[in-house]
Amino acid sequence: MGVDLARYHAWKGKPRSPWWATLAIVRVAMLQIFRRRSYWIVLALGMLNFLSFWAAIYLVTQFDIPTRIQDNLLEAFGFSAIAAPGEDSGYIKFMQRQSIVVMMLLAFSGSLLVGADFRTGSLPFYLSRRIDRRHYIVGKLLAISAVVTILTTLPALLLFLEYGLFTSSVDYWIEHWQIAVSVLAYGAVLCVVLSILLVTLSAYLQRAAPIAITWSSLFVLLREMSNQFSDATNNSYWKLIDPWRNIRAVGRLCFGEFRDAQQWQMARFSLAILVLLCSLALAALVRRVRAVDIVS
Amino acid sequence: MSRPLLIDIRHVSRSYGNVRALSDVTLGLTPGTIGLVGNNGAGKSTLLKILLGLLRPDSGGGTILGYDIVHSATALRGRVGYMSESAAIVPLLRGAEFVTLAGDLYGMPHRDARRRAHEVLNYVGLGELRYRRLEEYSAGNLQRLKLAAALVHDPQLLLLDEPTNGLDPAGRAAMLRLIEDLIAETGKSVILCTHLLGDVERLCQQTVVLHQGIMIRCAATSQLREVLENRYEIGWDGPDEPFRLALSHAGVEVDTGTGNSSGSIMVNVPAGFSTIAFFEIAHSVDAVITTLKPDEQDLAHMFLRMTGQSPSHDPQAVEQDMAHGS
Repeated sequence: MGVDLARYHAWKGKPRSPWWATLAIVRVAMLQIFRRRSYWIVLALGMLNFLSFWAAIYLVTQFDIPTRIQDNLLEAFGFSAIAAPGEDSGYIKFMQRQSIVVMMLLAFSGSLLVGADFRTGSLPFYLSRRIDRRHYIVGKLLAISAVVTILTTLPALLLFLEYGLFTSSVDYWIEHWQIAVSVLAYGAVLCVVLSILLVTLSAYLQRAAPIAITWSSLFVLLREMSNQFSDATNNSYWKLIDPWRNIRAVGRLCFGEFRDAQQWQMARFSLAILVLLCSLALAALVRRVRAVDIVS
Repeated sequence: MSRPLLIDIRHVSRSYGNVRALSDVTLGLTPGTIGLVGNNGAGKSTLLKILLGLLRPDSGGGTILGYDIVHSATALRGRVGYMSESAAIVPLLRGAEFVTLAGDLYGMPHRDARRRAHEVLNYVGLGELRYRRLEEYSAGNLQRLKLAAALVHDPQLLLLDEPTNGLDPAGRAAMLRLIEDLIAETGKSVILCTHLLGDVERLCQQTVVLHQGIMIRCAATSQLREVLENRYEIGWDGPDEPFRLALSHAGVEVDTGTGNSSGSIMVNVPAGFSTIAFFEIAHSVDAVITTLKPDEQDLAHMFLRMTGQSPSHDPQAVEQDMAHGS
């Protein structure tokens, strides 16, 4: 017998833990990202980068190409002589390239995914339900992390699988399992840092243009400043004010790239600065998402 | 046996810096339909926040539906459906997805949330529009959509913040009819927060009046109406003081703030008072009644009297004044 839709029906189910709601926030964020057509241009850039790395691995593993031609070919596909496919350096190179695409996408999506909640009054919609600000914040951080993961960690792991498949042996996966772990660790660093910074900036600035300007200033202007100060004072510690460099340094740390003591120490400083920056941003975010703002 | 209280809060106060938003409010309300009225800045929003468990009172406390407003706030919100005044839409979503998200946020399993979303959207009359983008909804349909989002988890208590705000007369009537039907069919308790006293008169069994953070009246709406029904304008020819004195001896309360050029005054009579008694009182002091008519003012005027504002406005102006916080 069908349900009489004109009448009201009670719901007799049992509610789940509020933490499940964070997954709903992630699901909706993905819907929003994929429904905005202009974002597909940036996503296509990421896909293009992935395909070129995929093709490079395919060529290197499937064809017996002389070394000189192979180097030229790899160069054409975006690898350098020191970033070989299938090696740590190749994955670092790939993830660094992808993270540029991620930065572009995040610069525009912060307003849609977080800023709009504050600007259009959607925050009451979330926080008047059976969740509190912890669940809202974690949901939004997970949503940004999902975007980052889809563009960096997942394709990097696919390349890792591809290399093993095309060498027709499980030995590559067994011998280089650390690469998969390093990819996950670098991905986690990108997720944590970028999500906290973006959600905080978006919660305060709300509109697309100020978010994009501040976001690019944070990662481009500070990079320029750090280079200028570092060159002028001949002090390499100035480079630590560049968060983009710090993220890359910690990423390389995940891959165990640093051999000499000074690089190792700088990478640890980078990690400490990122931890401090994220802690401050998180504190500011919690302060912003206050229940006081719920009912206007 | 007395009915368990829906809202039981005691001595609740809340300040924002030096501004006292709510001052020593004590409410004990039984389940039913409750109107929460007051000017802007009266403390309605602060009281709403506290009732939703979103804001901790500086002092005092209590329970809503048996849940402590301070310590069980999240569980409390699971039993309350809140319809906000603001647009509160999530960009790029469709109607069904929006209501499903509300269900997910209430902790419903996703499959249940999706099924319920379609059910409640049909119930509020948006079945045909459920796949439309939120940005394409009209103001009236957006209000219905927000009502569906508040209903999706089948709450015991609905908290409706200005549900007819921004609607044209036809949309307002349709929304009120929908809420009326919902109350009649489900027996849910509803708190209606509004500045439109007509909505309160039509829907609410109990009315709470807030003014400058203080609760100045909490009574059954019918009692408020009775006060109006027991109020008359009376004019007479004859001695002034003896007539007034005779009225007060008969238990008639003369409204001292009234009186016009024709000598009419407003009086409040006790329950069971027969209007024939006015003529008998007049006869006893050699006076003749020239005017006798019941007070035809509505709750809007009563609100103004209670808040010490001029009652000389017309009701529509009063509602506009309330909206603008005058």
